[in-house]
Amino acid sequence: MSNEYLSIEERLGLNSYIIDKEPHIKVNYEICKNCVEKPCTYVCPARLYTVDEYGNVHFNYEGCLECGTCRIACPHGAVDWNYPKGGKGIHYQFS
Amino acid sequence: MRPMTSEEHFDAIIIGAGASGLGAAYTLAKYGFNVLVIERGERVGSKNVFGGRIYSHVFEKVIDGFNREAPIERWVRKERLTLMDDNDALTLELSVGNDEYRNSFTAYLSKFLRWLSKKAEENGAFILTGTKVDKVLIENNKVSGVLAGGDVFKADVVIDAEGVNPILARDLGFRDDWKPHEVAIGVKEVIKLPKEVIEDRLNLGDDEGVAQLFIGYPTKYLPGGGFLYTNKDSVTIGVVVRLEHAIRNRLPVYDIVEIFKRHPYVHSLLKGGSVIEYSAHLVPEVPMGNLDQLYGDGFLIVGDAAGFVLNTGIIIRGVDLAFWSGVLAAETVKKAHDEGKYTKEALSYYESLLRNSFIIKELQAYNKANAVLNNNTIYNNYVKSILGFVKDIYTVDDNVKKMLGTMLNSLHRNNLTLVTAMKDLITVLLNL
Repeated sequence: MSNEYLSIEERLGLNSYIIDKEPHIKVNYEICKNCVEKPCTYVCPARLYTVDEYGNVHFNYEGCLECGTCRIACPHGAVDWNYPKGGKGIHYQFS
Repeated sequence: MRPMTSEEHFDAIIIGAGASGLGAAYTLAKYGFNVLVIERGERVGSKNVFGGRIYSHVFEKVIDGFNREAPIERWVRKERLTLMDDNDALTLELSVGNDEYRNSFTAYLSKFLRWLSKKAEENGAFILTGTKVDKVLIENNKVSGVLAGGDVFKADVVIDAEGVNPILARDLGFRDDWKPHEVAIGVKEVIKLPKEVIEDRLNLGDDEGVAQLFIGYPTKYLPGGGFLYTNKDSVTIGVVVRLEHAIRNRLPVYDIVEIFKRHPYVHSLLKGGSVIEYSAHLVPEVPMGNLDQLYGDGFLIVGDAAGFVLNTGIIIRGVDLAFWSGVLAAETVKKAHDEGKYTKEALSYYESLLRNSFIIKELQAYNKANAVLNNNTIYNNYVKSILGFVKDIYTVDDNVKKMLGTMLNSLHRNNLTLVTAMKDLITVLLNL
């Protein structure tokens, strides 16, 4: 069966990861509470930043593509960004 | 791989086994230097993403037997530029008839880099994978080595090839982090299709590939574009959009490739294909700061970390610039070694090599391209009016449609005049 059109979750599911127990990116949610724009919620190409019904930002590092966009897009410096530990994280094969 | 003891001393340590790091490693090892490359990916290539094609000139210069040995997917002999609106597409195609024409090729970057790392290892370089450099060490105001995976590795010189996220160079104070107006975000999918289907749909010979850029629809008419490259039995499709525009326009970056794929033109090219990988990478878009920030006592910065990407509007190059900057850093290290000092002054030879190379000559020639290309009108009003004009001309109905009148109509429909169009055309011609 072909998978021509896929949701972001389905696409991340096709990638290969070696997931670390600890997140390599830490978000200061206290800062997010006062953020109006929340650009992370739409510019992260893996859609790992979401907002719940109360307006709180949530972040899941596990599907991270390690591009760095969230760090640069965050207007308030809430993203403490680093690469995952050696050997962990995304494992690209065809890109 | 030989066992490492802590505090082992190397002639040079290279952070990252991407195109720039391996260019440096290959060259230094060839000169007999004791070189260690430290790569955070589980394998070489695990962390690397590019658009889809590589210009071969620098590899042909440096690596014997390159054309025969390298894991090349297809040689690009068709170049296409497509203006695209919500429904239609207008394409300009260059089809090179000479089947010996070899200027650029498509590849899987991870596979290509693994091949390159083997060549560097054959020269005698050590490549340590699955290990991240956490810190660059400084002693007596000079870079003295790195801390990686809990071990200390010392060297006369450290070459920073860490990639587009310059975390180590930033923490050392060599450069600032990127701002949203200085980078674009690229996202892409690799789609599996049978070889014959690709060759039929794109009119390609056996080892022949197409490189296609799209402007307009893929970025929702914002600065940036779509791209398509053919491998042997897969197609790479993606979108690059400038981050400041993505932020300002609340662009759903995580779905832009899927939206691009739904366009009738793209759909017919890719139907029946299966996505095998989804990836993202930042692309530097502005000329970097001062070249003298790219080196210091015992330290050199190469590749994406130095911002070496060239975007002329129709050609985007990163891998060849990265590789060559690594080669030039290696030449610098060799000269510094011969002189017996690795001071900032000794390493300033890197700056003069860069200035005399195609890297800086081309980046300077296109130094105004960034500003010219950052104009929304190109991707919106002009794409729509040119496409509309050509569609009008080809559509037969009750109206008489001579060239000039039809063109003026289409320009006016998109809030442009002939005078502004002529002015903008001259600006583009002068700067690109």
